Amino acid sequence: MLQSGTVTFAVRILIGAMFIYAGAAKIGHFNEFAAQIAGFRILPAGAVGPLAVLLPFFEVGLGLYLLAGLLTAAAAIVAAVQLVLYAAAIASAVMRHIPAVCGCFGPQDRATADWPHVAIDLALAAVCLLLARRAPGIYALDNRLGNT
Amino acid sequence: MNRRTWILITLAVIVVGALLAWRYAVNGGVKQSASQAPVAGSAAKGQTAPEFSAATDKGFFDLAKTRKPVFLEVFATWCPHCQRETAIIDRLYRQYAGRVDFIGVSGSDRAMDGQSPTSEQDVLNFAAVTHAQYPLAYDGSLQIAREYLQGAFPTLVVIAPDKKITYITTGETPYGELDAAIRSALAH
Repeated sequence: MLQSGTVTFAVRILIGAMFIYAGAAKIGHFNEFAAQIAGFRILPAGAVGPLAVLLPFFEVGLGLYLLAGLLTAAAAIVAAVQLVLYAAAIASAVMRHIPAVCGCFGPQDRATADWPHVAIDLALAAVCLLLARRAPGIYALDNRLGNT
Repeated sequence: MNRRTWILITLAVIVVGALLAWRYAVNGGVKQSASQAPVAGSAAKGQTAPEFSAATDKGFFDLAKTRKPVFLEVFATWCPHCQRETAIIDRLYRQYAGRVDFIGVSGSDRAMDGQSPTSEQDVLNFAAVTHAQYPLAYDGSLQIAREYLQGAFPTLVVIAPDKKITYITTGETPYGELDAAIRSALAH
């Protein structure tokens, strides 16, 4: 039977890798990502550009923290908040009948933002909250640094 | 390093990163030359162009029947970037007259005032205001927009004679880039 620390480690790696992939796919495609953010019609125009540049690097950084097991609980909570915000943005677009493009995994991801996306984001947020509760798991820098 | 040090380093990196991102974006690093369009069609570079036909102010156009390269613009009459881009497209239209088919198609359900529903007259008003000379079409069904729009107005597409999309982009685009795309399609 798997130890709790091993399961936590596995979840940490999966969520961390997902964030790194999602962020890396957007880096270098700031114009397209900005258009996708603008498509949700939520943020003022002046905020779209900076967010389109910052968010990909933030996602990669968050993923690296989860992979390394550094400040794991805090990183998992931030990831959960981020996923809830994504779910709220998508739900808002769906309710306003705006066929926004998700853009979750970069400009090549042209899936239309819909209720299944909301459900997936909320499910992942719940997993992140569980991860925060059981953090950091094995092979974590938090253990070596005595941060827990 | 202890936990507090890592937290401080992390927060510092986020703050500095946010400032750098803001500076990069406002200094032109992110193209703010397109109007949002909540549609991303299936059209993509290298793929076969989706079939379309439209009645323009200069006659009927059918992609299936032309043997020339096609320059397609999907625009919104209310989009200031589209209004400015017409001057560049007109220059190309005059330069490649007879060798390339040009067509601009409306892709928004809103008119030039941004509020009322668009119409054929709205497209004619757009042509009058911008002095656009290239053929413009009103597409009330928005079918062409659904196929070609790439999330922003204007979406600019070059289709080679073999019906492959050789170039597709969004936003205000310089003359040189579009000229090169058309020359490439002519040599295709």
